Amino acid sequence: MHTLFLVLALAWQGVSPQAVEHAQAGIAARKQGHLDKAIEEFRRVTELAPDFPAGFMNLGAACMESRDYGAAIGPLKRALELDPALSGAHQMLGYALLAQGYAAESIPHFEKAGARGGLGIAQLEIGKLPEAIANLQAELAAHPNDPDLLYYLGRASGLLSKNTFDALLSSYPDSARSHQALAENYAALRRTQDAEKEYREALRQRPETPGIHLALGEVYAAASDWVKAEVEFRAEAKLQPGSAEAAYRLGSALLQQGKASDARAELARADRLRPEMPETLYALGKAASLDGDSTAARKAWTDVISIEKTGPLAAQAHFGLAGLYRKQGRTAEAEREMQEFRKLKEPASAP
Amino acid sequence: MLNNLAAVACLSGLAVSIFEMGTPRGLDFQHRNSPTPEKYLIATMGGGVALLDYNNDGLLDIFLVNSGRLASPMRLPERFGRDDPRYWNRLYRQNRDGSFSDVTEVSGLAKAGEGNYGMGVAAADYDNDGYTDLYVTSYGENILYRNNRDGTFTDVTAKAGVAAGGWSASAGFFDYDNDGLLDLFVTRYVEWDTRHNKSCARQTYCPPIDFPPTTNILYRNRGDGTFEDVSRRSGIAAKKGRSLGVAFNDYDGDGFTDIFVANDGMEQFLFHNDGKGAFTERALDAGVALSDDGKPYAGMGVDFRDYDNDGRPDIIVDNLARQTYAVYHNDGGGSFSYHSLATGLGVLSAGSSGWGLRLEDFNNDGWKDLFVAQSHVMDNVEALDPSLHYLEPPMLALNHDGHFTKADPGTDTPVAGRGAAFGDLDNDGSIDVVMTVLGGPPVVFRNRSGAGHWLSIALRGVRSNRDGLGAVVRVKGQTQYASAAGSYLSSSDRRVHFGLGSAEPVDVEVRWPSGIRQTMHSVRTDQLLEIREREQP
Repeated sequence: MHTLFLVLALAWQGVSPQAVEHAQAGIAARKQGHLDKAIEEFRRVTELAPDFPAGFMNLGAACMESRDYGAAIGPLKRALELDPALSGAHQMLGYALLAQGYAAESIPHFEKAGARGGLGIAQLEIGKLPEAIANLQAELAAHPNDPDLLYYLGRASGLLSKNTFDALLSSYPDSARSHQALAENYAALRRTQDAEKEYREALRQRPETPGIHLALGEVYAAASDWVKAEVEFRAEAKLQPGSAEAAYRLGSALLQQGKASDARAELARADRLRPEMPETLYALGKAASLDGDSTAARKAWTDVISIEKTGPLAAQAHFGLAGLYRKQGRTAEAEREMQEFRKLKEPASAP
Repeated sequence: MLNNLAAVACLSGLAVSIFEMGTPRGLDFQHRNSPTPEKYLIATMGGGVALLDYNNDGLLDIFLVNSGRLASPMRLPERFGRDDPRYWNRLYRQNRDGSFSDVTEVSGLAKAGEGNYGMGVAAADYDNDGYTDLYVTSYGENILYRNNRDGTFTDVTAKAGVAAGGWSASAGFFDYDNDGLLDLFVTRYVEWDTRHNKSCARQTYCPPIDFPPTTNILYRNRGDGTFEDVSRRSGIAAKKGRSLGVAFNDYDGDGFTDIFVANDGMEQFLFHNDGKGAFTERALDAGVALSDDGKPYAGMGVDFRDYDNDGRPDIIVDNLARQTYAVYHNDGGGSFSYHSLATGLGVLSAGSSGWGLRLEDFNNDGWKDLFVAQSHVMDNVEALDPSLHYLEPPMLALNHDGHFTKADPGTDTPVAGRGAAFGDLDNDGSIDVVMTVLGGPPVVFRNRSGAGHWLSIALRGVRSNRDGLGAVVRVKGQTQYASAAGSYLSSSDRRVHFGLGSAEPVDVEVRWPSGIRQTMHSVRTDQLLEIREREQP
């Protein structure tokens, strides 16, 4: 994540030619990947020019590069004593301290270097979770998909979430929100009956709370109990008539029960509330097909493919279209769709 | 004459089950699969059963396949204790009073080969001598028992050349070339042996995808007591599967029997018979390879029958929980549509795992209902997912004009159901069920509905195979295909059964595998009818 860099001072005023010679040898050795040799040369520079900050910084950087963070701390601190404005030295020292477990001590150095990624990690380590999340998100915006940043952001968010729920459960153990939080945990563990019990209690206390019926419906859906899922999704849809997700879930539960016409109505409503969602369109195609409306099914599945060219839903839409055409006797079109399906489908089928 | 329980239930508003569950006197079989901590995959897959009338006394007898003893761990050579009577397959002869007698030893069916871990069974008269023979499948070698016509059987496997090898699962007799001789199809599951077993996370049986697929086998009956392995020549071996169930029917009405093979965790197979000795696998193009979302599933048991009385055979395949049992409606023209949701079976099966199954008209109302033996494959599935269950009661789904609704199967006791064979045990005109239970005694579901009128037909082929397997019989808008195969590891009563609702006489049309067509007019209902094939076209 962080970039180690060596500083080559352009002006070596006041430094002996012998020190310059060792500095150049160190730089050359480092370029060749001979880090032990580089460290030896830079150490010689610091001996020959003990008041020259770049020498210490180069030595610290070489130690960092050879993953000897403990050895890097001394030279970097000395470099900063000689020149407190060396931003790179602050950043490296921050990481060296962090790597050695001195998270709190690393923070001022990251702050001075403006290194938000390192700062966020250090804040995470000392439990300043909201600040950590803010800094990690800012750094992630500059370096999207960086795996380390993603990991630390996920960890910080998870910890913050856990701490928050712990506070909720200890402060208000019998509140509706506590029961809801417990239910979510049970649902994640697929403990259907426990999740159901907690959601029911949450609903008993606050029946109008948005999201609980939806979550309870998802518990039933995960257990393939579509009849109960429909009841909960319907309650959520009534509570939140503007929720595309509630309409989609209700439509899907109806579809699973073969209630084609009702499913179409809900899925069409979901599509109006949040257009161009491939999942909704795919389910809408299935409902229309089940309802005997091949024209509508074809349109929905074609829409899926126009939005999502690849991936599982695109494959499924091609497969659905193939079946549709085959039933209509449109053999060539069915075969074309099957070819597209074969191209996209996951491996692991017949050899 | 019959107790009309259904009518009484209707009048009283009570829900009375069609079935009365129990174990008849004398049926003391105990299936032994010997599960061990190594989770040898074979341990969870066995349990075949056949309903056959081996002594031609007019009563169905029961043959049950045992599995064997597994050591922990297994050592080479693999021995499964099949010489020990506790691990024998068993033949139970039905007595006139409905009880059963164990005739295993006297019939010559004791032991089953020390190296064979038992799986399934197919029963049919392969030598056209009028007596039903038995073919028993195993992990190891399969055994063909020829019926000696005196209540005993002889192991003729070596002479017949049908030992197969590897891991065989379901098998079925059918006449693929319409030469009047029953051929034999054997499904094989995966390339596996005890040395190459795997134990998956948290001590579970590994999924089949962890093991290489293998070929199925087609044996052609030469008519001289021997069979020829035509798997390669016929095109059957061109496809490798992880095959468990097999069912037969002529889906395109060309007069030649096609084959549907249920595969576990991959595409299903539909082998189309070209009538010239070759098969082409067409499941994907016919729309029966995958779910409606284009996804593979764990195909296990299968039936190939017309559930909506449109005259064309449909396909039902059961599978694991969360996958929903697949119903493929035959649209004609060689093409099928996925109808699990439309038939209501999707929602009934979404949380269940199925094995043996069959479409039969259990309440004699003219529509074929569905019975499924159920249980998850993993005996510790609750530890992995508490919302799933290893043990389940069987499913009975009644068919109302092509739509299925859940009914009381006569028990809510969850068991590890596996094989299931179907037939009229007491010749009362209603279909009974024998279901095997992994590691336990079998369960018999006596049909006590007494509802509706019926006709049961025993076919006697002359130019066609003597059992008449492959004949298509039409009665009162219903179509039945004569086959003892289907389900899972099991073999059912070869007689074809029709529920008729009303008592008025019916016309019976038979299209024999020979191509001969026969029609009988104004046939009286509520009888066991034998139809002998006309000798000339």
